[in-house]
Amino acid sequence: MSSTHNATADAHAGGHDDHHDVSYLKPKGGMMVTIWDWMTTIDHKKIGVMYLFASLFAFFLGGVFALLVRLELFAPDVATLDAAGNPIIQGQIFNPDLYNRFFTLHGAIMVFLFIIPAIPAALGNFCLPLMLGAKDVAFPKLNLTSWYIYVVGAIFSVVAIALGGVDTGWTFYTPYSLDTPEEHWQVTFMTLGVFILGFSSIFTGMNFVVTVHKLRAPGLGWFDMPLFVWAIYATAIIQVLATPVLGVTVLLLALERIFKIGIFDPSLGGDPVLYQHFFWFYSHPAVYIMILPGMGIMSELIGVHSRKKVFGYRAVAFSSLGIAAISFIVWGHHMFTSQDALIGAIFSALTFLVAIPSAIKVINWIATLYKGSIRFNTPMLYGLAFLFTFSIGGLTGLFLGTLSTDMQLHDSYFVVAHFHYVMMGGAAIALFGGIHHWWPKMFGKMYNEPAAMLGCALVFIGFNVTFFTQFFLGTQGMPRRYSTYVQEFTTLHQISTIGSWILLAGFLVHLATFIHSLMAGKQAPPNPWGGLSLEWETASPPIEHNFHHEPVVHYGPYDFDDAVPPFCDPADYPLPDPLPPGEKSH
Amino acid sequence: MTILTHTLTLAQERGALDRLIFGNQVGNSNFVESHDWLFMFIFWLCVLMFVVLMGAAAYFTLKYRYKPGVPQQRSASHNTPLELAWSIGPLIVMAFLFVWGFQGFMDAHVAPSGSEIVNVQAQKWAWNLEYDNGATTREFTTDLFGEEGQGKQVPVFAVPAGRPIKLQMISSDVIHSFWVPSFRMKFDVFPNRYTTMWFEAQTPTGPDPKDGLFLFCAEYCGAEHSQMAGIIKVLDPHDYNKWKQEMGVDTRPPVEKGASLYVTKACNSCHSVDGTPNTGPTWLDLFGKDRVFTNGSTGVADENYIRESILEPARNIVEGYPNQMNSYQGQLTEAEIRSLIAYMKTLSEAGRAALTPEETTSSEESEGAEEPESGA
Repeated sequence: MSSTHNATADAHAGGHDDHHDVSYLKPKGGMMVTIWDWMTTIDHKKIGVMYLFASLFAFFLGGVFALLVRLELFAPDVATLDAAGNPIIQGQIFNPDLYNRFFTLHGAIMVFLFIIPAIPAALGNFCLPLMLGAKDVAFPKLNLTSWYIYVVGAIFSVVAIALGGVDTGWTFYTPYSLDTPEEHWQVTFMTLGVFILGFSSIFTGMNFVVTVHKLRAPGLGWFDMPLFVWAIYATAIIQVLATPVLGVTVLLLALERIFKIGIFDPSLGGDPVLYQHFFWFYSHPAVYIMILPGMGIMSELIGVHSRKKVFGYRAVAFSSLGIAAISFIVWGHHMFTSQDALIGAIFSALTFLVAIPSAIKVINWIATLYKGSIRFNTPMLYGLAFLFTFSIGGLTGLFLGTLSTDMQLHDSYFVVAHFHYVMMGGAAIALFGGIHHWWPKMFGKMYNEPAAMLGCALVFIGFNVTFFTQFFLGTQGMPRRYSTYVQEFTTLHQISTIGSWILLAGFLVHLATFIHSLMAGKQAPPNPWGGLSLEWETASPPIEHNFHHEPVVHYGPYDFDDAVPPFCDPADYPLPDPLPPGEKSH
Repeated sequence: MTILTHTLTLAQERGALDRLIFGNQVGNSNFVESHDWLFMFIFWLCVLMFVVLMGAAAYFTLKYRYKPGVPQQRSASHNTPLELAWSIGPLIVMAFLFVWGFQGFMDAHVAPSGSEIVNVQAQKWAWNLEYDNGATTREFTTDLFGEEGQGKQVPVFAVPAGRPIKLQMISSDVIHSFWVPSFRMKFDVFPNRYTTMWFEAQTPTGPDPKDGLFLFCAEYCGAEHSQMAGIIKVLDPHDYNKWKQEMGVDTRPPVEKGASLYVTKACNSCHSVDGTPNTGPTWLDLFGKDRVFTNGSTGVADENYIRESILEPARNIVEGYPNQMNSYQGQLTEAEIRSLIAYMKTLSEAGRAALTPEETTSSEESEGAEEPESGA
């Protein structure tokens, strides 16, 4: 069957006059026409690409704030004496107010503008319909709407930043967020931005749920779907069910600030812990909105590049749904030091449950490598890096889920290190693996493999130097969100800051690789990695309507033992001997 | 080479790993033993699991790397007993972690009867401990932030070794969190309810604050969150009682008491005494000065004005400053307000001239033992 596809791809490459057969990236006319076309497009691929660039820009912005935070923490504050011999305390570089704005903006941008939309809305949008063999998502216009809602929400947040910023932390804990001076209306602005961004997330989630249910190609059963689709599906369910609670929470917060109702503000009879429950009822599931799609990417990276059916496919698929379900009942573990002991105990027990599906995934990925045919390229390197960093992130969660050790580690740098190992070492590392995996498909260009691998290595080293030290800062007693610290902690902080520069170097290498690829990259073949899922059955970049004909599914996404990948030279992907008659493949 | 010797010395003393994990300050409470044991148990469990997982991943990756022209081998793509084993195995381990963690947690939540109660007041950005005899600390250190005593003044508190202390905590503004890393314990402090935590320090650290334990604020609370700190020194019960008595019987002249209150009540967070502009006006040369207010009126900074500014700060706001100060109504006794006024007088020419003899001489009877009407 691959030969017939080869023929159509050649015909396409040779120039086709039917405009439906041209690449989705081909400009429609002059510059203004093209811009208008992109702005009004309902093509999931273009919307995905716009999300990708927007979220990478947010990543850059959040990264700059992170670097400034690390820079300030390179050394503790030095107090100088005035003429009268009294100490004047200033920041080492920035004053504490500015520092507090930096870490708040770093958190808010990374969470709301980068990690939450980056994988589902960017890679999910691009890949989901292609992987299902569909022409588009179920509701293309709703898809464009959620993109514009994202833009409006992002503008609100950026305006709040530009006009002075917010110093409440991304969690907006009350009463601090209510207590800051009146002129800090930016807090209201920022929370409204978060409120608006929530709708974008809900619409995208709804769209994906319906797409997965209704638009699968003929023959593509639920258990024939790539695991990335399962992960996006589970994520979409959380997005639809949890995000409204965030909307309610920030709306109440804004109302409380403006009308002084007395919901969260203790001076008006409100309860600040109620706010924490509201906030984490969304924000804990949101952690899985961030990591589940990353886990989905991991299954693709490990499966395709080791040419093995992902071990325990069904367990991996169901663990995504399991994580989605359990994610709703563990929010209280963010409040072990502020809530009732009985509630804390219940949440601790529930929290341990969520570790199981995550552990199943990691072990299954490692088992997938067994007897594979592993190719070392950038996506695979990122896959291996993920195994390393995410395992650390997951295992260190045990210290925090255990009640008595959390009493010590809560709100310390240990927590900072832990969630960076999960969010950055998990979600962001997976995202960059996924970008490299689907880059040839998205843009039709290959990238410089050695340069990209160098970038990956620098990111991996820089990441571990930056954040591994922070576990020890935490256990030694360094609280989070400190603009300065006692001198004991100086050495570890300095190592961490140096790590952040290595990390920066890694991402700069990637940036250069991406630009080089777009400007002068080699033309990508339709199936550079020998993948079997449906997105590799169309041209790179895909034609406007994705497929010439509705694809028919003949093999599973990971049946590497039995199927020659489309558009590939069978010599590059030799198959094992056929099974003796009568014996069934596993 | 020197680094190696140094490392070896460290390893012999307390164990390099122990020092790396728990820092230079050794654990010093009844919770340390069970906490550190459980921490190290989870630590070695994680190391073991990590080494097994990564070892397998590394071995498979190298062994089964792609060789041109060689097809991969067929292998099973699932194995139900194996998968059940690695799902249920971790679950059993975690049941143990939960139970052990729960035991430690409940111990930490239930203070033994007969614990000495110490009241904790938290505010932006200072801790204040009030002992059962009404004593508050008059001891401060500047060594915590900045070198050689140049940092911010933070209070030094004493606790007894071998006697349980139960903290009853309240905040007067936002959420704070009382954390002494060496106690292996923290709990949040709220503005609208009492929260409690308890501990029993074990080994005396001696009278020198340099050997004391760090007290940090662990819940973000604004500009000086990172310097909302203190030192806890652990004294043997006899020395502790003596210290508490000394602090309780405050015979210092009001001007000196005022200087202490300037730190313990966190006035220093917003008001400098050296002319540096901050959130609020500096106290240098303040007393006796003409003030212009945002509502257009004017006034002289005399005793009544200062008292009003402490108790009803929003009534008259000095031109050029935000309306940010919370009222100290109920948080200061009349005697304490008088002490603060006396201290402010020492900071200006007009004030020094206006100082009365009572303000500069020690009293014999205890004034500090007065109970402030907190929470009123």
